[in-house]
Order: sequence, then C-alpha cells, then structure tokens
Amino acid sequence: MKNLYRPIESVIEDIKQETRNITTYRFRPKEPITFEAGQFVELTVPGVGEAPFTPSSNPNVTDTMEITIMRVGSVTEALAKLKVGDVVGIRGPYGNGYDLSEFEGREILIVGGGVGLAPLRSLILALFDDINRYKKVSIRYGARTPGDIVYKDLLPEWAKMPRTEVLQTIDEPHPEWSGTVGVVTVLIDELPLLTTVDIEVPFDPETAIACVCGPPIMLKFVNMALLGKGFRPENIYHSMERNMSCGLGKCGHCMLGEYYVCKDGPVMTAAQIEKFEDPF
Amino acid sequence: MKEAFITRENLLKLIGRWAKDHRVYVPVTFDIMNDEETPDYALVEDEVPDSLELSGAALAHTPKSFVFYPREVVANYPSSDAEADVEAPPTVVVGPRGCDVRGLAKFDKVYWSTKHFTEEYDDPFIIEKRTNTYIVSVDCSASKETCFCTKVGGKPWATEGFDLNLSPVEGGCVLTIGSDRGDGLMSGNDDLTTEVRRDQVEERERRRNSVTEAIDRRNAEFFDAIPGPYEELDLEGSEGAWAYVTQNCVACSACNRACPTCTCFLLVDQRAKGGYERSRNWDTCLSIGFARVGGGANARGALHERLQNRLRCKFEYSRDRYGLVTCTGCGRCIDVCMGKIDMREVIRHVLTEKATA
Repeated sequence: MKNLYRPIESVIEDIKQETRNITTYRFRPKEPITFEAGQFVELTVPGVGEAPFTPSSNPNVTDTMEITIMRVGSVTEALAKLKVGDVVGIRGPYGNGYDLSEFEGREILIVGGGVGLAPLRSLILALFDDINRYKKVSIRYGARTPGDIVYKDLLPEWAKMPRTEVLQTIDEPHPEWSGTVGVVTVLIDELPLLTTVDIEVPFDPETAIACVCGPPIMLKFVNMALLGKGFRPENIYHSMERNMSCGLGKCGHCMLGEYYVCKDGPVMTAAQIEKFEDPF
Repeated sequence: MKEAFITRENLLKLIGRWAKDHRVYVPVTFDIMNDEETPDYALVEDEVPDSLELSGAALAHTPKSFVFYPREVVANYPSSDAEADVEAPPTVVVGPRGCDVRGLAKFDKVYWSTKHFTEEYDDPFIIEKRTNTYIVSVDCSASKETCFCTKVGGKPWATEGFDLNLSPVEGGCVLTIGSDRGDGLMSGNDDLTTEVRRDQVEERERRRNSVTEAIDRRNAEFFDAIPGPYEELDLEGSEGAWAYVTQNCVACSACNRACPTCTCFLLVDQRAKGGYERSRNWDTCLSIGFARVGGGANARGALHERLQNRLRCKFEYSRDRYGLVTCTGCGRCIDVCMGKIDMREVIRHVLTEKATA
C-alpha cells in the first residue's frame, strides 16, 4: 500500500528574497507533483519537520514549484538556512483548490494581506492563462509598510494584463509611499458596484467572486466588508489558516468543528463557515 | 450467530493454540501499587497465564494501542520507495469490552477509506494492523462507578465488530462467533467446545441484564436531566459555563490518551541511520500547541476552548462528520482525571446553564 507520509525529494533551484522575512523558493521535485490553485503541500525540512504551504507558482507549470514563505517558526527558520542545491521534501497536494469553472464570466476580486498574496499568486497566474474567460480581475493588496510588499517587480506587470487592475495600500503613512493608506478593507470600501454609474466594469455583488487570503484578523474584517457590499457568502472564498499537519484528514490539528481544513479547505466559502462564531 | 460453550480449562488451551502462530494478548491481574489487583493486557509467551481474568469491567487500557501505536515510524527519508513498510504480525486480543469494540469503529472511519469516509487516503499502518488483529471481546460482568455505556447507545457487551465474544458463565464461557475471521480462529478447535445449553444462554442474559441495570441506575441522575437523545446533544455553551467546568483541568491530556476514540497524532521528524525518520505519535487536543500555527496564532488558546472542543468532538463533530457519536461511555476519562472532572457532570452543567440562560 502507498505510503502517505513519505516526502518526495525536491531540490532548491532558486531563492529570491522578497522582504526582510519573506522569501520565494523554486523547488524541482524528483517526482512530478501537480496541483490546482488553492491546494497546499507539506514541505519538509529534513530532520526538522513539516509545515503546510500553498504554492505561489502557476499550477500549469508542473516540473517546478514556487513557494513564498515567511520566516515565523521552526520549519521556516531552518529552511532559511538552506542554499540553492540543498534538498527538501514535499508531500501533496492536499485539500480543495478554487473551482475555476465557477469563476467563468464573472468579476473576480482578489484580496491579499501581507504574505497572504503568495497563495493567491498561483490563482492569479492561472486566471491570467485564460484571462478572457473572466469579466475582470481586480487585485487589491495591503501590506504593513512599503518594505513588506511582496512581488514588487511583478505587481506592475500584473497591472498591464488585460481586464486586470491592481490596487495597493499600506497600513500607515510612510515617507516612501504616495499611494492609498489604511488597512486593506479601505480598498473594499471604494469597490465600484453595479449601482455606481460611469464605471466600465462594475462588480455585480450577486455573482462576483472574492478570493481572500491574509492573517485571520484580516479575513474577519474583509469578510464583514464584502458581506456588507452584498457579496454572497457562497462566492467569498477564504484561505483558512489552520495547523494542517498530516494533510490527510486524520491527525486532527486543523479541525474546525466537523471540518478538517486540510480536506474541506484550505479554501472555504463564507457560507461553509458562517455557522461558527469566530472561524478565522 | 454461531455459539458454543467452552470451559475455562479449554479456553486456556485454545489461547495456547492461537499463540503458536499469533501474538496473543490476554487480560491478567497484575499486583501493582497498594496490593490492588488491576487487570491489564499481557503478551502470552511460553504458557497461557493462569491469572487470565475475564471478570470485571473494562480494562485500564483501551485496545486502540494494538492498531494505533503510541509511537510508530511511518517513513524513512530520503527514499524513492513509494510503498509503506508495515509490520503487522497476526495478533489476537482477548479482553476488549463493548465500549472498546465500538471505539475501534472510529479508527476505521478516520483511517480506512474503502470502508468509510476518507476517500483516497488509506492509512497502510492502521489498516494492516486492523486486518491482522482479531478481536475476542468479553462481556462486562461488573461496572465501574464511571461506566455509562448504556446512556450513549452501548451495551456492557459487544453487539458487533468482534470476531469472537466470550460471555463468562458458571464453569466457563459462552463463545459467540461474530465474523468469518472469528470462524477461522475456531476452525480445527471443535474438540475444545461443546454445544451451548439453554440454561447457559439464560445465565448470560441474566448477567448482562444485571450489569445493564446497574449502569442505568447509577447514571439516571446525570442523564435524565438531559433533554432529548444523546445523538442530538448540542454542547455549544456559554464561555462562563465552560470556564467553570474547566477550573480543575491542568491540560495533562490523560483523558485523550485513555480514550478509546481519540485518534489524533503528531508527526515528528528526526535524524536516523541513513537519513531521517518520521514517526507518528499520539497527540492530544488539550495540549496548548495543538491548534497553534506558525507565527503563534492559536484557534483554541484558552483551556476551556480545548476541553469544549474535546467533548464536542465526541458528541457533535464525529456525529456530523462520520455519523458516529464517539463517546462510548467507557468512563476512562473520568477514571484518569487528576482534577476529578466528570464529563457527565460537565454535560449536565453546560446544558443546565444553557437552559436557564
């Protein structure tokens, strides 16, 4: 019988520093690992342990995988000491990704906070591969300071894509920043809805899709803001942050009521979690 | 179901025959602290121990350890071998009670997709051991103060899920075959059993009824206060009610370990010969780090949230996910609690607070 717990050896091919504590790694697994946008993998640092990450690369690229990782715990600290050519392990993919067929012909709002833009990047790249299938892709990204912004060189490129817009904010005023200031919900407050006149492609809250990823507190407030704008709970997709440890719906660490976030998530709709008092 | 009678002497012989090509564990009495004799599982080696003890209530240990080891290596890496390296010798476990056998059903639900829910994620380590482990259950001939199986859908004997069942009666046991596998264990051993007599079956029923009545009587005060059936419990109580019942909890997690249906684990990686090994270790949802994520956020940082999660997992989450209430009423979490937390009182308190809120 197949061993579910064995990591597949993967070589670090490239390391790119995004911010002082966020790094993008490119891995080349020795056996192919294919994934859908939104699914996650378990990354092993040999002898240290595993942690769950959603890849940030294009799911249509199958020979390598990129993951953007913030240094916050024992696994990520150990990973930070590794160099190009070193070997790590990858298991997966696990969980549910975004069902892109549901997104067709709709406006898609992507809301990221901090390193939360990383998992959304694989979704964004998958959308770009077939951009004409969607009415509009609006990327709204908040970071604490200009120094905390990830994909600095990519964001302007994304903004040039057809049907796509990129809006950014930082939490507090900063001498190097001339753009919008405030937490990411300020970018939702000004969302052009169908009722707004003179907007080329307004959001129809009845059908528009929102994909949200960021720290738990951000998910909570973005969820409230989107519901306030009339978005339907079944169209708001949150990336749930839980301690997905085995990825197989067994170890229990990521349980949220009767859900295993590793199997029923990590992408879950606001409708799925609305019965919980504070699911984030 | 096929039934027969076996004398104690012949039962010892039967166990001896099994022991030739199986690992056989039987309940025996150990003389431990304070001269208190407590039955626990022992491996049958050269001889079947005469101290084999089939009377009493559930043993201190659950049989889950036979299929779900407290620690087990589940992977060595680096490795290109996709197959699992599982060691699961044929094993016979004599002694599980009705509550224990029901408890094993949770392992099937979580780890065994072809039987149940988890789709493609079959766990080779658990399945191999489940497949190679024969369950010879035993009727309870007594109950503990803490037993409440009859109040959560159980009986003080196994009604399904066993291979063989032993019901102690005068001079021996009524032996019931519960599965084809159990039939296999009895093949070639006809010389050790005789046809069961009607009075022996009646004696078994009398004993079963008497234990059932004792458990019902002792638990009436807890459960009669609960409105509706146990399958419909809703323990979502106020923070105050849960904080109150958690006062004496020190998060030692003894309840998790003693529980026949706690299936959670932690994967631990460390250096080993030729590389690294990954082991699966029992883990406990009462531990503060159980739900903590990198960076420190914790979905259940408060102890009362964790105790609440544990009980609601047993009564609500497992029911909603697997269609199975996974408290089997064995009472072990009460037995082992150093804070003397009695989950029956917890349930009553939370529901009473809710009703009067």
